[in-house]
Amino acid sequence: MTERAPRVAPSVLVGIGSFAAVGTYTLIDSIGLGLWTSLGPGPGLFPFAMGVLLVAMSALWLIQELRSPSEAAAVVDRRLVIEVVVSLVILAAVMDLLGFQLSMFFFLLYHLKLRGRRSWVSSLIIAVAGSFGAFYAFNYGLNVALPVSAIPLLNTIGL
Amino acid sequence: MDIFNDLLGGFAAAMTWQNLLFAFLGCLLGTIIGVLPGIGPVAGVALLIPLTLNMDATGAIIMLCAIFYGTAYGGTITSVLLNTPGEAASAITTIDGYAMTKIGKAGAALTIAAVGSFVGGTIATIGLVAAAKPLGELGLLVGPPEFFALMVVGISLLVALAGKSMVKAVISGALGLLIAMVGIDPVAGAPRFTFGMDRLLDGVSFVAVIVGVFGLSELLSYRKDTATANVHAPNFRSLLPTGKEWRRSAPAMARGTGIGFGLGLIPGMTGSVSSLLAYGAEKKFSRHRNELGKGAIEGVAGPETANNSHANAALIPLFTLGIPASPTIAVLMGAFLQQGLTPGPTLFTENSEIAWAIIASLFIGNLLLLVLNVPLVGLWTSILRVPSSILTALILLFMVIGAYTINFSVFDVFVMIGFGLLGLALRHLDIPLAPMVLTLVLGPLMERSLRESLEISQGDFGIFVNRPISMVLIGLGLLILFSPLLKLRKPRALTEDPET
Repeated sequence: MTERAPRVAPSVLVGIGSFAAVGTYTLIDSIGLGLWTSLGPGPGLFPFAMGVLLVAMSALWLIQELRSPSEAAAVVDRRLVIEVVVSLVILAAVMDLLGFQLSMFFFLLYHLKLRGRRSWVSSLIIAVAGSFGAFYAFNYGLNVALPVSAIPLLNTIGL
Repeated sequence: MDIFNDLLGGFAAAMTWQNLLFAFLGCLLGTIIGVLPGIGPVAGVALLIPLTLNMDATGAIIMLCAIFYGTAYGGTITSVLLNTPGEAASAITTIDGYAMTKIGKAGAALTIAAVGSFVGGTIATIGLVAAAKPLGELGLLVGPPEFFALMVVGISLLVALAGKSMVKAVISGALGLLIAMVGIDPVAGAPRFTFGMDRLLDGVSFVAVIVGVFGLSELLSYRKDTATANVHAPNFRSLLPTGKEWRRSAPAMARGTGIGFGLGLIPGMTGSVSSLLAYGAEKKFSRHRNELGKGAIEGVAGPETANNSHANAALIPLFTLGIPASPTIAVLMGAFLQQGLTPGPTLFTENSEIAWAIIASLFIGNLLLLVLNVPLVGLWTSILRVPSSILTALILLFMVIGAYTINFSVFDVFVMIGFGLLGLALRHLDIPLAPMVLTLVLGPLMERSLRESLEISQGDFGIFVNRPISMVLIGLGLLILFSPLLKLRKPRALTEDPET
């Protein structure tokens, strides 16, 4: 065991760095927007103040961390994050093309059957209700239109 | 009796069958959100905003308000039966509530909690009725500089109270303001931070951001340590508390109402703080304080009354001054704005009928929850038996629909995903999310009042200190922000507040 103080966690450094970067970007960008016009405060004034705040707070946070590093944060379940985020991105990417019903049906099936290991029967029932059922409930019940497929063949059969 | 007539008119408007149905649905959905551990009130209300977009303003707000206070009821159920709070504000109830379940008194605990919630909620709503007119009139005297100063106070309170580190809370607040600024600048019409994307000219969709930051990130940070619960609903007979339990609860409810009401008025105080302090009050003042922790009814009655009294009292600053006191109320304020209503003093002059109908519906909703909650406890517990994989899939389904329907665009689904990841990162870095929501909603209003003030004064910042009200408010805000330097200790209940 060395007697040196524990080091600042890498994720915290990345966090501080990103906030400082966002702050700096905001500072520069808001100067371009114009801080002051002949009429008074310009569109850049408020963002400029926020940029100053972000940069200043990042610096303060860094000093605090260097003095006494915060405890390690809870570990994230990476697999869960990747599975959920990737499936959502794919869903969003194909929703306009395949329509809400088909894309949501496969999305739900993935989460219920493949990830959740539910039985085929319950997976299918919930997936159908959540995709085709939700589509009709929203379209006709609540008057909220969910997207239909952009592919003519699917579109004509109501998907 | 001017107010009385207004309120009667409100009841007439709230009692139409559609509005009653909306209040009922809101209570039902709110309780479900409260029962489900994976989704909190902030994300819950945000998720359901899209459902209300095609409804008339009164019905929409009635439903969303009902969802909001319904969550406070629902959170109790899991606290008592499972020892896991459905909502942060019910966390303290687990101590005596679950202890009561273990000695076979779950039914009495749930009934007392529901009655206490009803009492607290109703009394706080009476407070809202009484305060609405005078505070609203006071609010009308407020010009842009005072309004700006008021928001500074609200935000600095939240920043000072949220989480452990003020530096992190300020970062959260600044991020919210920056996100709010994306799009066409409201005064000069210049596009800001749109990165050349036309889709961003209207700004980032508020609902998509909230659903991402609060809902999706919560789901992503979920860990598989909770197995599907084995819960049993108490049978109907055991739901009736004994006469002794009623007598012991009454003083606890009175204390809880007072604490919740007082704290609910202060921006930055969350329901959790109220329920923690109410529990503390029972420990100090209750005649049975030595039984606390072993299944004392006071330990349920006090905190549960306090958090509902808080939830309803927190609507007072929103209705009269246009200042949201907590993240959930900020989301509710977002819903008002989406419906073209501006909460605040002008609400009672411009949309007086809607305002009073909503207030009347608060009474109706609290009554509905009392009637719904206790007899339906079997239904709520059966929701808890739904396996988590099915719940996750269904919550994801609602998030996607919610984000999509706000502008009928897949773009907002991507926004939701992006902000879900941001929320996860913020949680990981221990940055409180509450200041961000508040500034996200208040940002545009705050900027507008700042710039209007400076236009009035022709660029002289002195306007904020030359006017007495704004000078006092700005001074107060600065005092709060610099309180760490003055070594003012905040109570422990606040640092441990799980909601921020």
